[in-house]
Amino acid sequence: MTLDPRRLLSNVLAVAYKETQVLRHDAAFITVVLAQPIMMLLLFGACLSNEPANVPWSVLDRSQTAQARRLVEDIHATGYFLPPVAVQSYDQGLERMRRGDSIALLVIADDFRRDAERGRARVQLLLDGADPLTSARVGAYVAQVAAGFRPDDRPSPRDPDAGPKGAVAGIDVRQRFWFNPTLNDSQFFLAGLSGMLLTNLCLSITCLGLVGERERGTYEQTLSLPTSPLEIVLGKLLPLVGICYVLVFAAMLETGIVFGIWPRGSLLSLAVVTLPFVLASLAIGVFVSALARSSAQAVFLSVFFILPSFVLSGVMMPYQLMPPYIREVGGILPLRWYQVALRAIIDRGASLVDVKGPLLAMTVQFGILLALIRWRMSPRLG
Amino acid sequence: MSLSWRRLRTLLVREMRATLRDPFTLGILIAAPLVALLAFGYTLSTEIKYLDLAVLDADDSPASRRLIAELAAEETFTPHVVRNRDEMTRMLVSGKVSAALVIPPDFDHALDEAARGGPPPQVQALYNGSDTVLAGNTEGALRAIVAAAGAAVVTSPAQATPGIEVVTNVLYNPTLSGVPFMVSGVFGFVLSFLTTLLTAVSIVNERLTGTFDQLQVTPATSLEILLGKILPLGAVFAFDVLLMMLVGGFLLGVWPQGNPLLFWAVSAFYVLFSLSLGIIFSATSHTAAEAVQKTVLYSIPVMQLGGFAFPLRNMPMPMQWVTELFPATHYIRLSRDVYLRGEGFFGVLPDLAVLAVYGVVLGALALRTIGERT
Repeated sequence: MTLDPRRLLSNVLAVAYKETQVLRHDAAFITVVLAQPIMMLLLFGACLSNEPANVPWSVLDRSQTAQARRLVEDIHATGYFLPPVAVQSYDQGLERMRRGDSIALLVIADDFRRDAERGRARVQLLLDGADPLTSARVGAYVAQVAAGFRPDDRPSPRDPDAGPKGAVAGIDVRQRFWFNPTLNDSQFFLAGLSGMLLTNLCLSITCLGLVGERERGTYEQTLSLPTSPLEIVLGKLLPLVGICYVLVFAAMLETGIVFGIWPRGSLLSLAVVTLPFVLASLAIGVFVSALARSSAQAVFLSVFFILPSFVLSGVMMPYQLMPPYIREVGGILPLRWYQVALRAIIDRGASLVDVKGPLLAMTVQFGILLALIRWRMSPRLG
Repeated sequence: MSLSWRRLRTLLVREMRATLRDPFTLGILIAAPLVALLAFGYTLSTEIKYLDLAVLDADDSPASRRLIAELAAEETFTPHVVRNRDEMTRMLVSGKVSAALVIPPDFDHALDEAARGGPPPQVQALYNGSDTVLAGNTEGALRAIVAAAGAAVVTSPAQATPGIEVVTNVLYNPTLSGVPFMVSGVFGFVLSFLTTLLTAVSIVNERLTGTFDQLQVTPATSLEILLGKILPLGAVFAFDVLLMMLVGGFLLGVWPQGNPLLFWAVSAFYVLFSLSLGIIFSATSHTAAEAVQKTVLYSIPVMQLGGFAFPLRNMPMPMQWVTELFPATHYIRLSRDVYLRGEGFFGVLPDLAVLAVYGVVLGALALRTIGERT
């Protein structure tokens, strides 16, 4: 293959122009590009949440004292719970948990008041482990309220920064949540949103596009042009990169307008980290389409890839909490590094220097993929 | 509409041969659900292990170093000692650490004060709040370790704590592991999304190559074509459910608490429903790409709103009523009830009834779309 840079450029631009014309007339494609960000935005911004809310719970109050009622009231006042259901016996409370009607059962013993006044009261809390995330947080909330509970007077209003005194024996931990003081869940999801959108878009477009062309025979026409396979691939990718940028900034704008979450870092650094990720994702799509023999196979293969990458990269759940080996497997995926960089720039206002690690990782991944494509995409017919 | 067993059998044999002839698709049909199971099974976790933690030790005394050693001793944190506040902020901003602990310069002194009955010494904990789940869990773990370390470092006899001690017992899943929750949810994911997607794509392909039109002109009725299509695929997916239950049990250690046969039967029934949906999507699409996008646009939100990964009760109330309209919600709830709490047949009857109604409606719709000639 002769490498004349001028010829390369004009050929790439010619293919890119042709691709743009094709995409412009694809109504279904345009609908998807427009509809998907809005759908994901509403889903992750307004509906899905890890933060416990409306938690149903029951109380078995054997002491029937004002102190016990105040403890229940204090727990209810945290705002995470539905009004408590009073149960008359331990069995009744357990039965409610078995049916899934309550997540927690608080048991207050009959000598609660006496013990509370002596400063060594205990209550029992039964949690439904079937829903571990909620149960872990509910357990922490109840313990926090209980630790700050004073039997004699009203407790001081809850200070979100300071932990309850006495909860930590010996050392007083003053804590602060940076970047998101209210621990608002939608911020976590929305920061990773463009990563999900781009993975979806890049893979489905390249895969289905290239395989579809092969099936219709237009790919063979392109091969017969005086262009090299590399020029064809680059020319096809160029308009897609443009679309990806439009999508990222549309998602950013919608997030800002609807949820008031604007990136704290600069848009320039956002644009810079997006480039290697988009290129790597498109390259994965091209590679998958080179492996697939029909569009059905291309779809299966891309689902096979999209699925673990959403799950293991950390866009939906923090990757830091995954078991060690699983965490490392996720590092193979470009989406892992992109979401790390996105969160740093959007949530924490990081500069490009702070995200040089992820940037480098994605560039290396793109290089490896390019080499794989060169090896696999020799021009062949039928 | 007539149903001839002989014609149906011919169609079933044709479908079976077509599936077996294509080892790639068959492999995907069997492998994809297992990949989903393993990938999702490990993702939800509340346990913190070797989390990077920046420690700004402004005191640098034996007492503060002992506190840092306590943090490293458990497998929870990997402390990185930093020299100044700027360095700590940098690490938090770039995401190298998810939390930071600041030990003030007079920590050693404050400890001595505390030993003489003074106020307890203070340390400051900073969390990266943008990772909400992580921050919430880190908070609990860090407090517990500092409390334990504090009890050891502070030599004064601990004063009686004025608060109330909470003794916590966790039912059904004592370690609060995320694996059972996710494993029982993955069935909903696989049977609502993957099944619909695979059916939609394979049938749209048949329409593109023209073999579907050939089927329509045979004496076979729409009902027979529909059954001939979904029964073999349904059998493959029913086998998948069985395989997933075994892999979930042997590899991830999660067996159904309830009757496995009940769960399997309900799942096999729900598969038929998802397959009908796949047929409707493929019948109304012109290309494979269109069928895929339709499935993704419909199934992903429905599955997420069905409570597959995030508990429904965390949503705003009106949204919760909307989710009741989706069949996936009922199947996911049902599978969690049977899998995690050991619910029996009568306990899941309401959800089952809703699924049956949807099954009939979708079956009728699929039948109509198949009958339409292109």
